[in-house]
Amino acid sequence: MIRHLSRREALALGAATTAAAAMGPARFARAADFYAGKTIDVIVPFAPGGAGEVTTRFVTPFLSKHIPGNPTFNVTTMPGGGSILGANQFEKQGKNDGLLILSTTSSTAFPFMFKQQGVDYNLANKAIGYTIAIGPVVYSAPDTGVLKPADLLKPKVPLVYGGIAATGSDLPVLLSFELLGLNVKTVLGFPGRGPIRLAFERGETNFDFQFTSVYLTQVKALVDAKKAVPLYTGGSSDAKGNFVGRDAVVKELPSAYEVYKELHKKEPSGVVWDAFQAASALTFEYGITGWMPAGTPQEAIDAFAIGVEKANADPDFQTKGKQVTGGYPLQAGKKVAGTVKKALSPSADVTNYLRDLLTKKYNVKL
Amino acid sequence: MWEAAGTALFAFADPYRMSMLIVGLLAGGIIGMMPGLGGIGAVSILLPFALTLDPFSGLAVLLGATGVVYTSDTIAAILFGTPTSASSGPTAIEGFAMAQQGEAGRALGGAFLASMIGGLIGAFVLTLSIPIAGPLVLALGTGELLMLAIVGLAYASGLVGDSPIKGILSAALGLFLGTVGVAPSAPELRFTFGAPYLLDGFALTILALGLFGVAEVIVMLGQGGAIAQQQFKLSGWAQGVRDVARHWRVVASGSLIGVIFGVIPAVGASASTWIAYGQAVSTAKDKSKVGKGDPRGMLAAEGANNATITTDLVPTLLFAVPGGPAAAVVLGALFVYGFYPGPRFVQMNLDLMFLIVWSSALSAVLGAALCFAASPWIARITRVDFALVAAPLIAVILLGSFEAKKSVLDFATLFAFGVLGWLMKRAQWPRAPLLVGFVLTDPIERNFWLAYQLHGWNWLKSPIVIGLIVVVAIHIALTFRRAIMTRLTAQPTATAADERRFDLGLLLAVAATALFASGIAMSLRLAFDSLLVPMLAAIPGLVAALALVFVRRRGTTAVPWPPTQEAGQLGLLGLGIAGIPVAGFFPALGAYLTIMLWSRSRLRLLIVPYVGAILLAVYGLSRAFNLHLP
Repeated sequence: MIRHLSRREALALGAATTAAAAMGPARFARAADFYAGKTIDVIVPFAPGGAGEVTTRFVTPFLSKHIPGNPTFNVTTMPGGGSILGANQFEKQGKNDGLLILSTTSSTAFPFMFKQQGVDYNLANKAIGYTIAIGPVVYSAPDTGVLKPADLLKPKVPLVYGGIAATGSDLPVLLSFELLGLNVKTVLGFPGRGPIRLAFERGETNFDFQFTSVYLTQVKALVDAKKAVPLYTGGSSDAKGNFVGRDAVVKELPSAYEVYKELHKKEPSGVVWDAFQAASALTFEYGITGWMPAGTPQEAIDAFAIGVEKANADPDFQTKGKQVTGGYPLQAGKKVAGTVKKALSPSADVTNYLRDLLTKKYNVKL
Repeated sequence: MWEAAGTALFAFADPYRMSMLIVGLLAGGIIGMMPGLGGIGAVSILLPFALTLDPFSGLAVLLGATGVVYTSDTIAAILFGTPTSASSGPTAIEGFAMAQQGEAGRALGGAFLASMIGGLIGAFVLTLSIPIAGPLVLALGTGELLMLAIVGLAYASGLVGDSPIKGILSAALGLFLGTVGVAPSAPELRFTFGAPYLLDGFALTILALGLFGVAEVIVMLGQGGAIAQQQFKLSGWAQGVRDVARHWRVVASGSLIGVIFGVIPAVGASASTWIAYGQAVSTAKDKSKVGKGDPRGMLAAEGANNATITTDLVPTLLFAVPGGPAAAVVLGALFVYGFYPGPRFVQMNLDLMFLIVWSSALSAVLGAALCFAASPWIARITRVDFALVAAPLIAVILLGSFEAKKSVLDFATLFAFGVLGWLMKRAQWPRAPLLVGFVLTDPIERNFWLAYQLHGWNWLKSPIVIGLIVVVAIHIALTFRRAIMTRLTAQPTATAADERRFDLGLLLAVAATALFASGIAMSLRLAFDSLLVPMLAAIPGLVAALALVFVRRRGTTAVPWPPTQEAGQLGLLGLGIAGIPVAGFFPALGAYLTIMLWSRSRLRLLIVPYVGAILLAVYGLSRAFNLHLP
């Protein structure tokens, strides 16, 4: 996530100057009053205790502290239909006064992208308040013989990967297998990424990915005990949305892009690469996104941008963030909205490729 | 290690943290009493508050609440026959039967004490979990989890009632209802008929509330009078304590079963209580009182559910994999506080680990003591005119069912399951297997396909799997032997008058035949990996239903059409629920309660202030739970 770092450098110039340069003093003043004494309802369309809720509950107090006017955040979980029901509810409420947020993951974005049955929401016309990355780390069991990325094409025993569903957060990782040309047996249908990790520890699977925070807190111990070998991350995108950088937190591991170059001795390109990048953007780079209804006032978006910048500079957010999210910075919706929307509506070639892969290889009915 | 235990005790004895534990305890105790809101409801409502505290105090609040919900939920189960969750089902069967015989005090006293013992055993195991639980969790793969769920199902279907056929039919119905929604093994929708409401299938809370809660309330309303139909015994709680002392083995084995299911993630408290119940029932020499107010099964179940909710924290703390929904919320809180449970958590944060142990143990003791002290007074409710109790109870049941999916269809679903539960009760079909089958559909289907994809049929070769298959086989054999023995000794009791009456049992059996037959027809259109479990439910279900239709057993009495009073009350409730989308929740509820109280109580002019107070209380609750009622 090179872009974050460059933005951080820009931040060194001072949040105030940045804000002033971007919006002018008058706009700043309006954003400052906008949220005074107000309460923002945040819908998390997942069951309590999951990554979606934990991350949202972690970031909202910092946003409350740093958004001008210090709005109160009222977080509610509304699980159902793999987030579709909560997102539909959000669409139905549709009050565009800046006081409603849907804080969700790619589990909401993919069904919209594939126009799945039951989707009554339209993410393409939404504003974005904030977003935060959740990166993946792919690792193997040592008995597969895959001890470094170069071994990936010739494992000693077949690689067995456990996942939840092809249309959820597994998608970009499954696409990385397609991209790299790996031969992996995928077993989908696990109830969560925690049970998948237990199945890996038991030896029922031997090839897995976990999000950065879990990698740092759980899988690192397995790595130290020589029970797991970390291989690659999803990487991070440049300003144009190309996933050529290393992960912002797990900098010591190569990205899927680097592994591709090492295995195939050329730059990745084509429809698989584009599909991987779109899915990675929605799942990892903009992993948890706070969507706001279409027509949300610009003052609200500006106020979130100020809150995001200040929260990122808050040492408390940085320290605690390392433990909860892995340490990725927040990003302001006004800066990333364009890239997110681009990932949300990929080219017809990419969509057709994804539909084809999901229906033929993973038996998804789209 | 003991030094850390001491440090934690010292940190814990801080009056502020102690008071936070009591805040959690009181909140959890009160929420636990309300059907449908207990368990995860208690911790979810406390979470935002807990996150504003320091980690030790915040955890004390959450653990205080989790430690008590399975104790206080006993109250509604015993007094009204309304389980607040699937895991208090056995208590709703046996404890409620005891309450109807005037022994509410005895049932409450015994259940609270068993709860406390279960919680303490759970806390003790949590302490020992550091060296033992890790290897145990890792020894159980997808195949073993599948078999554990099947053990739960086998125990549940042969539990209550006189006929294994009805048990199988009921369990099959539960399994089949559990397959509605997204298939866990394949990205395919089943039996949703295009309704987004059914994407995730039916909600367990609504099913449990309808099947037991609504059904029992309707029957009680139809009968009129108070819950206790016999002379009310106030001093019964001492008898409850003696029950626990006499049946201490049942409490201990129930708690141990609870511990095992708590330590293992994914199968959960619902299965553990039923297995504990089944275990207690099958080891009892005299089975004549089973299902009719036998304290043994209830004591085992109460020990089990408290042991489970405490030991749910074991996989949560050791592997960051929550053992149950309430533990998932505790895990989320730990993340936000900056602790990350996992292999190293226990070693690195021994003091926090012990704080958690102390909190769980203390909340089990204090919670039981609190409920225990209150039980002689609470038990008096059973002497009150039932309509007065039913009014707030129905209001909370409606609120609790809306909490599940927050859709207006929740009320309609509740009513439909209420009708089903009432018909099953009247036709003497056991309802418990339905609930357990429903709960276990997901673990059975998911783990079967995972085990099959990962290991082929080799999962059957695991010694643990083989051991569990033997357990199931023995249990099934014993159940059928018992049924055949009963049948051979049964005397024909049917009279000519009974035979002439309309047979409700036959009607239900015909309806079940139609349901399973159409279920099979619809399943044929599904992909193989999503049709297997619906078929596994529908085919035995169809066979059992046909057996009930055509095989007229010697000694069978025709089940008469239920009393019109009950049908009338059910119809009235249906009208009230139909009024919700038209008039809004509060006007419809107010009108319904007024008419119901007018017809079934002698309040008359006092009805208006009474209904007003109930509506106000429900409004307050809905705000506390952040529910936007229609």
